[in-house]
Amino acid sequence: MAGSLTVFRKELADHLGSKRYLILFTIIILLSSLSAYQGSQYLKNNPNLGFLAIFSGQMFGFSFIQLMVFFGPIIGLSLGFDAINKERTSGSLSTLLSQPIFRDSVINGKFLAGAAALSIMTVSTIGIMIGMAIPLLGFGPTLDGILNIISLTLLTIMYLAFWLSLGLLFSVLTKKTSTSMLASVATWLTCVIVISMLATLIANAVVPITFTPTTTIGNATVPGRQNPQQTSEYRALMEQRFSIQNMILKISPTNLYSEAASAILGVIASSSFIGIDRSTPFRSLTLSQGLAASWANITIIAIGLLVCFIVSYIKFLRMEIRPGG
Amino acid sequence: MSQPVIETKGLTKVYGDFTALDNLNLTVNEGEIFGFLGPNGAGKTTTILLLVGLSVPTSGAATVLGYNIVRESREIRRNVGLLPDFAGFYEDLSAQKNLEYIGLLNDLSKTESEKRATELLETVGLGEWKNVNVEKFSRGMKQRLGIAQALIKRPRLLILDEPTIGLDPAGTKEIRELILKLNKEQGLTIFLSSHLLHEIQMTCTHVGIINHGRLVVCDALHNLTELLTESEGLSLELKIHNPTQELLKEIEGIVGVSRVLQKEDKVYVTMTSDVTLEISKTIARHGAYVLLMKPKEYSLEEIFMKYYEEA
Ligand SMILES: Nc1ncnc2c1ncn2[C@@H]1O[C@H](COP(=O)(O)OP(=O)(O)OP(=O)(O)O)[C@@H](O)[C@H]1O
Ligand SMILES: [Mg+2]
Repeated sequence: MAGSLTVFRKELADHLGSKRYLILFTIIILLSSLSAYQGSQYLKNNPNLGFLAIFSGQMFGFSFIQLMVFFGPIIGLSLGFDAINKERTSGSLSTLLSQPIFRDSVINGKFLAGAAALSIMTVSTIGIMIGMAIPLLGFGPTLDGILNIISLTLLTIMYLAFWLSLGLLFSVLTKKTSTSMLASVATWLTCVIVISMLATLIANAVVPITFTPTTTIGNATVPGRQNPQQTSEYRALMEQRFSIQNMILKISPTNLYSEAASAILGVIASSSFIGIDRSTPFRSLTLSQGLAASWANITIIAIGLLVCFIVSYIKFLRMEIRPGG
Repeated sequence: MSQPVIETKGLTKVYGDFTALDNLNLTVNEGEIFGFLGPNGAGKTTTILLLVGLSVPTSGAATVLGYNIVRESREIRRNVGLLPDFAGFYEDLSAQKNLEYIGLLNDLSKTESEKRATELLETVGLGEWKNVNVEKFSRGMKQRLGIAQALIKRPRLLILDEPTIGLDPAGTKEIRELILKLNKEQGLTIFLSSHLLHEIQMTCTHVGIINHGRLVVCDALHNLTELLTESEGLSLELKIHNPTQELLKEIEGIVGVSRVLQKEDKVYVTMTSDVTLEISKTIARHGAYVLLMKPKEYSLEEIFMKYYEEA
C-alpha cells in the first residue's frame, strides 16, 4: 500500500505539471466559462428555471453537459492511454518494478492519480462556473441545488474515470503508444460522430421504407401527405427507425452520461442525439427522482469503469515486463 | 560457512514450448563477484528476472539472501539492488528526481532520499548532471544512473544485467573499477551478467557459463583460467609474409606440432607442447618474415564448444 501511495504522488505531480493536462484544463475552463455565461443569459430570459440551468441551458454553442459529452472521452483517454506502454518501452517499468513494491501498486497508483487529476479538473470547472454565474445572476443555488451540483460533480468524475480506465486498458493491451493513441482517437470519434451516423445507417437498413406518401393532384401523383393510410403507415415506420436509432445511441457512454446528468439536473432528457440537446427546458424532477431515473445509466458507466480497470489489472499483473518482450 | 547469497535448484523457465532456462543449479556465496557469462539469448536476463521475482519459474526453486524467490520476492527486492537489462528512467525528470523517487519506493524518508541521491550521483560520476533531465543523457550515463539507482537502497547484493553494454572503453573501465571498489570496500556481493569473456575475466572471482539455457560450467575464476590459458598456449596464430608450402610442411614436421592450418592469410598451428621457439627458428631459416605471432584467443563460442564436448 505504501508503494501505491508513492506511485500515486509521483504520477499526480506528473499529471498536474504536464503540458497535456494543462492544455486540456485550459480548454475546458475557457469553454465552461463561456457556457456558464451563456447559461446565465439563458436563465435571465427564463427566470423560472432555477440556478441549475447554468449547466444545461444554452443559447448558442454548448452547455457543460455537452462539453463533457464532446471532450470527456478525450480528457479521460489522454490521461491513461500511455500510462503503462510508455514506461514499458522506455524501460522505466523494469526499474520501477525492481523496487520493493508489488505490481498492483503501480497500476492502482496510476489509476488513482489519473482519477485525482480528473477530479481536480471537474471540481475546479464546476466551481468556476458557479463563481461566474452567481454575480451574473445575482443569486446562487438553493440548498437542494447544492446537492444536485455535488451529484453532477460525482457523476462527471465517474464518467471521466471510465474513459481513463479505458485508456489504461489500451495502454496495457498495446505495446506502442502510437497504437494506443490511435485506438483512443478512434474511440473518441466513434462516440462523438460515427455512432450517430452508424445508428442512422443501421436503422435505415433494418426498417426499409419503400414508398413516400403521395398526393394526387388531378392525374399527377406527387409527394405529399393526403393519403391518410399511407401517411400513418409511413409515420409508424419512421417511429420504428427512430427507436432503433435510440437503442443504438443508448449504448454510447457519452449518451448514458448526458441522460443521467440531465436527469440529475432535473431536466427530463428525451432521447438526445449527440450534439443536439433535446431536453425539454423544464425543471421537473427532484434530485431523488432524477437519480432514480438515471440509476441504470449510472450503473452501466460504473460497470464499464470496473470492467476496464479489472481487465487492465489482470493483464498487467501477468505481463512480461522486459522492454519490447 | 555462511548461507549462500544465491542458491538455485533445478530452476527452469519455459516460454510456450521454448525452454529459456533449463534446470539451473547455481550457488553464489557472500563476497563473491560472480560473472554470469553467455551469448545473446542464453538465458541470463531470464535468470535474473526470476531471481528478483519479476518472472515466475516454471519449475525448480531458488533462494536469494535466504528468501524464497516466489513467496518472498518483495523482501528480495528490498535487499537486492538490480540494474535491469536496458534500465530506463523517466526522461522528463532530472537524474536527481529519478533517484529520489526510487529512494521513496524503498521506504527512505524524503530527506534521506535526497541525500542518498546526491551522494550516489557523485559516486557514479554524474554529480554535474544532477539537475539535467534524463532525456539528455547518453547510453553510458543512463547505465551509470542505473547503477546509482540500484545502490540507493544500500543493498546486500547487487545484480547487474550487462552493466557495460553500450559503453566505450573508458566507461567500461570506470564501471569495472566501481564494481571492484564496491566489492572491496563494502564487501558487497555482486552478480553480473555479460557476453564478454574478457570483461568477466577482469572483474569476477567466480564464473558461470550459460548457453542455450543450460549452465555449462561454474567455478572460481582461477580454476577456469588455468584451463583456458593452458589451451591458449597450445595454439598459435601466425601471419607470415609469403609462406611457401615447404615452410608449412617443415613446421608441421616439428616434434610437438600436431596440425598446421592455412586460412586466408593466416596460419594456425596447434601444438601438443610449447614449441613456439622452434617454429620461429624454422621460419627464419626459410628467410620468411613473421608479420604476426600470438597465442590464439578462444572465442566464447569455442569455449562453449570445448565445454560441451567435455560434458
Ligand atoms: N517473453 C518471452 N517469450 C518467449 N521467449 C522469450 C521471452 N523472453 C525471453 N525469451 C527467450 O528466452 C531466451 C533467453 O532470453 P534472455 O533474455 O534470458 O537471454 P540473455 O542471455 O539475457 O540474452 P542477451 O545477451 O541478448 O541479453 C531467448 O531465446 C529469448 O528469445
Ligand atoms: Mg539479457
